[in-house]
Amino acid sequence: MSETEQKLRSEARDLLEKGRVNHIIGYEAGSLKFSTTPLITSDKEDTDRLVINPFINNNLSVFLGEVGGKAGIVARGCDARSIVSLIQDKQLAREDVFIIGVPCGGIIDLDKVEKLTGLDRDEIDDIAWQGDKAAVTIGGARKEFPAKEVLTDDCLSCEPPDPREYDLLIGEVGPLVTDGELGRSKIKELEAMTPEQRWEFWKSEFSRCIRCYACRQVCPACFCNRCFSEETEPAWISPLPRWQDNLVFQAIRMIHVAGRCTNCGECERACPVNIPLRSLSKKMEEIVDELFHYRAGTDKEAPPLMAAYQPEEAEDFIR
Amino acid sequence: MTQDAEYEPRILGFLCRWCSYAGADLAGTSRKKYPANIRIIKIPCSGRIDPLLIVRALRVGFDGVLVSGCHPGDCHYQTGNYRARRRMSITKKFLEYMGVEPERLQASWVSASEGGKFAEVVTEITSDLKQISPNRLFSDERDGTKAAQ
Repeated sequence: MSETEQKLRSEARDLLEKGRVNHIIGYEAGSLKFSTTPLITSDKEDTDRLVINPFINNNLSVFLGEVGGKAGIVARGCDARSIVSLIQDKQLAREDVFIIGVPCGGIIDLDKVEKLTGLDRDEIDDIAWQGDKAAVTIGGARKEFPAKEVLTDDCLSCEPPDPREYDLLIGEVGPLVTDGELGRSKIKELEAMTPEQRWEFWKSEFSRCIRCYACRQVCPACFCNRCFSEETEPAWISPLPRWQDNLVFQAIRMIHVAGRCTNCGECERACPVNIPLRSLSKKMEEIVDELFHYRAGTDKEAPPLMAAYQPEEAEDFIR
Repeated sequence: MTQDAEYEPRILGFLCRWCSYAGADLAGTSRKKYPANIRIIKIPCSGRIDPLLIVRALRVGFDGVLVSGCHPGDCHYQTGNYRARRRMSITKKFLEYMGVEPERLQASWVSASEGGKFAEVVTEITSDLKQISPNRLFSDERDGTKAAQ
């Protein structure tokens, strides 16, 4: 157990014992090797199950709307931005959340490690950050891989990886190797295509979509009580998962969360058919930044993007 | 559906009821000529436009969409057109990235006194849309049917 983990457990226990929070939202070990799963508890004994490791990949802020009372939440950089975004949208009061910030070294993509080592995750003994390298232990032997090769794509273009909004910061800000260019390589590929090719690309991607709405359910920015996709009068999209309606659903979802989406990559991670949704959300983040110099979740006092305007703004497309 | 000289794009126009709709009215009463390619829906304010309406119009087969409202500073509700502008610029760039031709999304500021400008706008976007192929974005080659109307 790492020092950070130990500190987190005792702090979480303390928070519950003193009644400063009603719930703790964190991570515990999952059922598969290396995997983690969300832990939501109001029992102080459960805090001994909390973990912090390079595999905590859920954005827990999505649960904040579901637990009543005050919640203590373990937050990395991206989670903290999502929380700030929720505060901006008045979905959450700052005093109702106690943010336990954990500086994040980046999340390791197990698929990438498996590919690099040629081994199944069950055959690997340990994976840990060693400075800016990932140290993989296999049967006593240790191999090191540069961070860029094992980080999830989301983390490659993350900034900032350490939480900026917190009540308590556990651990020290470590090195995170980011490579924005590498993180947006898929977008670059798409941008080089003609509109027809891009449309064909998305058409084929959304032909796989089974409209399970996992992307929407894991998204902290998708907090509407009633989604347009479920309206019946008028029915904006057909309930049948045809590619046309799948594509309309996702395009509109992305536009609706513009300025709220912190590009945490949860939608892509949750997608059971591996649609590269981050190539949409990341692009949207870039568009919003380019047009309005706005970055989601960086300033809790700022009005939400779509609730504000400047009298002088880009309108070269308007006749 | 092949592109031929007879191709007449179908345009859906969302016009704000305070400025652009009155502008279109003026175009009519002033006997200004403009292409009959546009079908007009009156909306309370350009700020009413949800990108969903635009995408839905393309989904059901319109070749282009026009959103038109009051000039900046002239909104009947003070800020509706500013909000519409933000939404429109994001929607346009994003749909372009997905592969929708930029010509399909059009916007204009037309005041109630600009009947002539309205006629010009419709003429321009009709000719713009004639430069690109009919909207087959949502057509399904597999069964050869056009998107549901």
